Amino acid sequence: MTEPHDGEGSRDHALIMARCEEMKARGETYPRLARDPVNQPMINNWLEAIGETDPRFTEGEAPPAMAQVWTMYGLDPRRPARDPLHGTMAVLDEAGYTSVLGTNSDQTYGRHLRLGEQVSVTTRLESVVGPKQTGVGEGYFVTTRSTWRVGEEEVGSMSFRVLKFRPGTGRPVVDRSRTVRPVLNRDNAFFFEGTRLGELRIQRCNACGTLRHPPGPVCPCCHGTDQGHVVASGRGTLHSWVVHHAPQLPGKQLPLTIALVELEEGVRMVGALEGDALEIGAPVEVVYEEIDDALTLAAWRPIGSAEPAVRSAETSADVEPALGVLPAWELPITPTLVVSTALATRDFQDVHHDRDLAVARGSRDIFLNILTTTGLVQRYVGEWAREAIGPGFVVRSCELRLGAPAHPGDTLRFVGTVADSAEEAEVVTVDVLGMVSVGEHVRARVMLATGVGEDS
Amino acid sequence: MSLSGRAAIAGIGATEFSKDSGRSELQLSCEATLAALADAGLAAHDVDGLVTFTMDNTAEIALARELGIGDLRFFSRISYGGGAACATVQQAAMAVATGVADVVVCYRGLNERSGQRFGQVQAWAASQENTNGLDNAWSYPHGLSTPAATVAVQARRYMHEYGATSEDFGRVAVADRRHAATNPEAFFFGRPITLRDHQASRMIADPLRLLDCCQESDGAVAIVVTSPERAADLAQPSVSITAAAQGSAAGQFVMTSYYRDDIGVPEMGVVAGELWRQSGLGPRDIATAVLYDHFTPYVLMQLEELGFCGRGEAKDFVADGAIELGGRLPVNPHGGQLGEAYVHGMNGIAEAVRQVRGTSVNQVDRVEESPHVLVTAGTGVPTSGLILSR
Repeated sequence: MTEPHDGEGSRDHALIMARCEEMKARGETYPRLARDPVNQPMINNWLEAIGETDPRFTEGEAPPAMAQVWTMYGLDPRRPARDPLHGTMAVLDEAGYTSVLGTNSDQTYGRHLRLGEQVSVTTRLESVVGPKQTGVGEGYFVTTRSTWRVGEEEVGSMSFRVLKFRPGTGRPVVDRSRTVRPVLNRDNAFFFEGTRLGELRIQRCNACGTLRHPPGPVCPCCHGTDQGHVVASGRGTLHSWVVHHAPQLPGKQLPLTIALVELEEGVRMVGALEGDALEIGAPVEVVYEEIDDALTLAAWRPIGSAEPAVRSAETSADVEPALGVLPAWELPITPTLVVSTALATRDFQDVHHDRDLAVARGSRDIFLNILTTTGLVQRYVGEWAREAIGPGFVVRSCELRLGAPAHPGDTLRFVGTVADSAEEAEVVTVDVLGMVSVGEHVRARVMLATGVGEDS
Repeated sequence: MSLSGRAAIAGIGATEFSKDSGRSELQLSCEATLAALADAGLAAHDVDGLVTFTMDNTAEIALARELGIGDLRFFSRISYGGGAACATVQQAAMAVATGVADVVVCYRGLNERSGQRFGQVQAWAASQENTNGLDNAWSYPHGLSTPAATVAVQARRYMHEYGATSEDFGRVAVADRRHAATNPEAFFFGRPITLRDHQASRMIADPLRLLDCCQESDGAVAIVVTSPERAADLAQPSVSITAAAQGSAAGQFVMTSYYRDDIGVPEMGVVAGELWRQSGLGPRDIATAVLYDHFTPYVLMQLEELGFCGRGEAKDFVADGAIELGGRLPVNPHGGQLGEAYVHGMNGIAEAVRQVRGTSVNQVDRVEESPHVLVTAGTGVPTSGLILSR
C-alpha cells in the first residue's frame, strides 16, 4: 500500500500519467475489422452458452449484447502497437499493476446487427485515474471509448472501464457470514425471532408488566416466570455511542458506529448506527440488518436524515403495476457456465478459464467475464420484456457497474424493477441488481425502445 | 470480626515484562512463584494454598507439580477477568485468617501479547453456552466486541455528563508514562509521553485513542500471603492486608453494564465502601494509589467512586498534576498497565507492596508518615480492591 507521496511511488505515478497522456493524445485508433462477419455459428454458440432464446436471433439478427464479441481480439497475442487500451495496460503492468478487473461497461446500440455485416471498431483512451485504494488493491481506473461501425454507419458504442491493480494490496473483503452470532436459548430466542420478522420485541413480565432488556427468565421485580413481550415503537434516543476503528471485527466494515439507544419504552439496547454519529439525545429509529436467513440484527439510524429505503411512492405510482417488478431469477454459477460463456464471447483472459492462474492473480477461482454479465442481464430483461411489452422491443442501451465476482459454486440472483416508463417516448428503463453470496455482482440499467417492432 | 490485619504479604515476585516471553505461561507462573518465595525466604514445600484467576491457563495442580509442592489444602479461582486481581489476595487472606492454609501463593501468568490478545475480538466469549455467552449476545453480533469499544460507550457518556475531555483522559496516560520512564522494569522505561503525543495517537474506539489503552504484555507475577506472625519472621518487612474487598453492583454485566441508571463503575463504589469500613481509614489516609488502568477513563471514574474527589470532579482532580509523583495523590508510581506492563493488575499489587516496604524505584515520600496504599482491580467488571499498610 505505497503512499503516492513517497519518492519512488510519486516517480512511478508521474511516469504512468505521462505515458497515458501520450496514449490519450493519439486519439482514436484506425478502424480495425472484426475477424469474421456477423455469422450464425458464432451467434448459436453464444445463445447456447448464455441460454438466450429470443427467436429473432435465429432469424437473421444478432443479439445486441454480442456487439463487443465481434471485435474481440481472440487468442492471437499480437496487438497493434498503437492500441491505447493495450498500451495503457502494458504501462501499468510494468509498474506492478498486473491484475485487471472490469468495473463498468456502458453500451449503446443503434440497431440490431444482421448476418453478413462486417463490423469495425475504433478505440480511444478517455481517462486514467489513480492510484486509488480499492477493495481488491491499489490501482488505476482506465476508461476507453469504442465505436462500432458497419461501413461508415455507426451501429453502437461502448464506454469500458477497468481497474488495473496491484494484487495482494487489497483491504480484506468484509464477509458478513463471519458476523459473531448470538448464543440462543429459551430465554432470548423470542427477541431474535422478532428481528427476523421486523419486530423489535421487549420482554414484558406477564405478572407485573415490567419491561426489561436484556431479557431473562425471572422478573427481578416480582420474581414472576411467565414472560411475554411487547413490540417496541422502534424509536429512541442516543444514550451513548462509539466509533470502532481497530482492530478488525469479523463480518463488519470499519469504521463502525455502535450506539447505546434508550428506547421510548424506557429500556436500552446496543446496535450499529447508520450514518454519522450525532449528539447524545438525538432521535433514532430502528432498521433491520439481515445477515442471513437465520439472523437479522436490529440497527439504528438518525430519524429524519436517512434516504428512504424504498423508491418513493410518487415514482412507483407512475408505473403501471404490471410493469413494476421483474420476477427474480436464480442462476447457479458452474465452471461450465464461466468457461463456455468466456469462449463464446471470445474472451480468452486466463482468469475466466484457468483456475490456477486465476488463483495466482489473487482470485478465489475463475469468474464470469463482463461480456457474459452483459448477456445475462439482457437475457433477464428480454425474457420479461417479451411477455410484458411484446416481442418487438429493442435494447437501446445497457449500463453495467460490476461489483463482487461471480465464482463457480455461487448463485447469481437477479431482481429487477421498472425505473421509468415514458409512454410518449416509447422507452422503458429497467434497473437490474444481480447478487452473489458476498454482495452485489452487478447493477445495471437497461433502456428498451418499445413500439419499434413493425419498422425494424 | 474483621479480616483487617489478619493476613500479610510476605513476598512478591515477577518475570520480566515483554512482548514475547519465549516460554509457556506455566513456566512464567513457576518463575514468578519461585521469585516470590525467594523474596519471602520461603521454600516451595512451605506452600499449602494456591489462588489464581478463572481466566488463567495454568491449573493450580500443574503449578504445584512443577514446583514440587506437595499437599495443597486450599485452592481457589476468581472470575471476571482483571476484576479478580485483588480478590486473589482476599481469598488468600481469608484462608490464612481462618487457618485453612498457612502460606498461599496468588499467581497470574500470561502470554497476552505473543499468545491470545485480549484486545482482539474473542469470538469464543460470545459462543459460550452459559449466561456469559448469553449476555454477549446483546453486544458482540453488533460489533461491540472489544474491551476498548465497550469502555468507549461509558467514556462518551461520562464526557457528556461531566464535561470531561479526551485531554483529561490523556493526563492519566501522561502520569503513567512519566512514572514508567523512571522504572527500569517497565516496558516503557525511558519513554515518557506528552499530552500532545496522546492527542496525536490514533483513534481505536472513538473517543478512546491508542494511548488511552493499556499495553499488551507477556509476564507473570506472584504474591505470597501468610499470617502476620509468620510474616514477621521472614525475610522482608511484613505488609499488612488492612482491607480486602470484592464488589458487584445492581444490573452488573461484564464490560456492558449499560442497562442501569448509572453506566459508570458503581461496583467500585461497593469495593470502596468495604475497604473504608474494614480499615477504618478514609481517602485522606492513602499515600498513593494503584488504580487499575486498562483504559484511562476508568481511572477518573475510580477516583470518584473511591471518594478521592466528588462525582464528575476527577477531571479537575487530575488537571493539576495531583496524580503524578510529588502530587497530592500519586497514582500508579510503577507506571501502571499503560507504562509498566499488563499483568492483569497483579503487578500493581506488587508495586503497592514495594511502596509499603519503602523499596519502590519511584518511592512516594508520604508513605513514610501515612503508610497506607490502596490498590484496585479491573473495572467495568465485578471487581476488587486492597488497602495494604505497614
